[in-house]
Amino acid sequence: MKQLVFILMSLLLAGLAAAEDVALENPQQEARAQALMRELRCVACENEPISQSAAPIAEDMRARVRVMIEGGASDDEVRDWFEARYGEFVLFRPKAEGVTGWLLWGGPFLLLLLGILIGIRIARSRKATVEPVQPEDA
Amino acid sequence: MIELGHFAAFLALAAALAQGLFGLTGQRRMAGLAAYAGLAVMTVSFLTLIVAFARSDFSVALVANNSHTLKPMLYKIAGAWGNHEGSMALWCLVTLGFGAAGALWMRTGRDLFEARALGIQGLLAVGALAYLLFASSPFLRLDPAPFQGAGLNPLLQDPALSFHPPMLYLGYVGYSFVFALAAAGMMEARIDSVWAREARRWSLAAFIPLTLGIALGSYWAYYELGWGGWWFWDPVENASLMPWLIGAALLHSIVVTEKREGFGAWSALLAVLAFLFSIMGAFLVRSGILTSVHAFAVDPERGMLLLLGLLTYGGFALGLFALRAPKLSGGKPWDLLSREGALMANNVVLVVAALTVLLGTLFPLMAEAAGRTISVGEPYFNLTFTPMLAVLLAILPVVQAWAWGKADLKTWSKWAIGGGVLALVFMALGVGVWDISIGAALGLALGVWLVFGALWELKRRAITPGRIFRLPPRVWGMTLAHIGLGLFVIGAVVETTGRYETTVALAEGGSGTVAGWTLTLDQVRSIEGPNWYADRAQLTATRGRDRAVMAPMKRYYPAAQMPTTETAIHKTGTGDLYAALGEQRMVDGEPRWVFRVYYNPLIDMIYFGVILMALGGAFSLWPRRKA
Repeated sequence: MKQLVFILMSLLLAGLAAAEDVALENPQQEARAQALMRELRCVACENEPISQSAAPIAEDMRARVRVMIEGGASDDEVRDWFEARYGEFVLFRPKAEGVTGWLLWGGPFLLLLLGILIGIRIARSRKATVEPVQPEDA
Repeated sequence: MIELGHFAAFLALAAALAQGLFGLTGQRRMAGLAAYAGLAVMTVSFLTLIVAFARSDFSVALVANNSHTLKPMLYKIAGAWGNHEGSMALWCLVTLGFGAAGALWMRTGRDLFEARALGIQGLLAVGALAYLLFASSPFLRLDPAPFQGAGLNPLLQDPALSFHPPMLYLGYVGYSFVFALAAAGMMEARIDSVWAREARRWSLAAFIPLTLGIALGSYWAYYELGWGGWWFWDPVENASLMPWLIGAALLHSIVVTEKREGFGAWSALLAVLAFLFSIMGAFLVRSGILTSVHAFAVDPERGMLLLLGLLTYGGFALGLFALRAPKLSGGKPWDLLSREGALMANNVVLVVAALTVLLGTLFPLMAEAAGRTISVGEPYFNLTFTPMLAVLLAILPVVQAWAWGKADLKTWSKWAIGGGVLALVFMALGVGVWDISIGAALGLALGVWLVFGALWELKRRAITPGRIFRLPPRVWGMTLAHIGLGLFVIGAVVETTGRYETTVALAEGGSGTVAGWTLTLDQVRSIEGPNWYADRAQLTATRGRDRAVMAPMKRYYPAAQMPTTETAIHKTGTGDLYAALGEQRMVDGEPRWVFRVYYNPLIDMIYFGVILMALGGAFSLWPRRKA
């Protein structure tokens, strides 16, 4: 009985291993898969993408990405599949949807614009006759 | 023994309090003496802690919780600051150290100002010491003492990580003295060139170790975590990047204050913010409000205290700023297109970049409050932070030659044509020869542009080649830092876009091919270290005539019940062949070892660039030769 269990286990492991972390044949597909793995979050880890997690679930998720890419799925289809399954949490590239989404993606550029406008205003308000001074000793 | 340290820390608290009182009442000499005394007693206190760790005195709770008799001596000692309480003791020591250094080296000829700066530094030390003694004391005894300690987190058992915290703290806490100088300057509403000359030196004294500390942390993550990357946009990393960006902005703004008495209020604000961001980093890391792979010593209650400190210091400094900023003079007049204008652009981008990092780091928390759970990671920062900085770096070579007050725009078209041609050449090479993306090609062009621009500016300043070595050290500092920035960009672009990663499963004696290298697994042996045992693989990597033996390990630390990856790195001169050992698996009926193998091109150039930036900082700190 024990022997049987052992044989079954080995077979099972061997079967899993076939899908595990083996690079796709097509290098372009593999590159796409790896890019996606860097932006999908391992759902059992603390803030790690599946590309760099040793957790078993991350391994399964990596295998899933490769299977989908090999099956001809587009990047967005892979993202959508994971989002449907695990929620938006799984995407390290949050969607620019809703107020929060726009705040997140637009925020930096809004701040930059604001900074530039304030800067220009300050410069304008100081305008006077200006003599250039070379920075030679700066 | 540890009671002596405990008592000495109380003495340090008293000294810091005296430093604060003497300082704020304008007694420069007495405040200075108190600062020396504070440093002396805190050094004793910290030494007792180190001795307790070195002797594995498990009757001290901190040692029992964080050390182990079998650890190598270096890590026993480094264990003193490799935990929350010990690192806070280090924080206190460095705070008092900067106070004493300030008392010794400040040279403004303004007694009241210097006394006040020491006084404020004293109060900052009081805050840190009170937090140490009353909320995270490292001096507590354990009764009965256990026979063995619980061990240091094995990930931290590493030479780079031994020196990473002290470096980082020299940076973080260095900004406490910059904060004190800004507050003292604002108290007398005098942020002028004398102030700036003094504050600039201390900003550099903080910036250099902060830069090196971040680089050490990154290098550690690169080879110890085993995932081939060097920056993960993890909250803990972001916490150190924010003060660095603000510090970099400060170094540029303070030059305007020094040379032209402009941007005074702004420089003071940045000086305050650099320290506030440093404390906020500590708060984010230690409170556990953010999830991170390498957050350690998490405790919400301590987090609240740190937040309280942050709000107190911030409220005080920003309130003072609001009162005094209108009274500060605006300096000499300047046009938008001038050296001042260019440095302002630098500051706008660096500060917005820091705020972007803050937004990305805190956003998951805010979104959660709004009922949405999201994750913000590398793709976000690559699309917001990176292009912003790229634009700033693209204009750097052009504007760094601009004059104060009003730029001479005669050479503008030459720069535009030169930059355009460079970009086109790299795009053509990138698409036609190197087979890389347009973005990567432009990134490379940017790096080359920066290096070229820095050298061009050096040549312009020197006028004739013979005078190059007679230029003031700070011109060399600027040149080195900007070359370093360029090399960093080249390294980062090549590494990020050209890295190759794969997994191979090898049986003993079997081989596989990765990035042109043939890897043969000679054997896997079990070995034993002082406080770990491991599976150690021996791989032979060959490519043409190149041959290297690599020995990646998978260690297991029984005391901490934790595995770690010890990667093997072969430096090829142009990149790293990098192997990490994984699990053993059955593949096609035979047992095989799984290896994650990476080829990381030009990764060393990233670190070389960062070290050059720090070296540039050191040159800038060098006093000008007397003519």
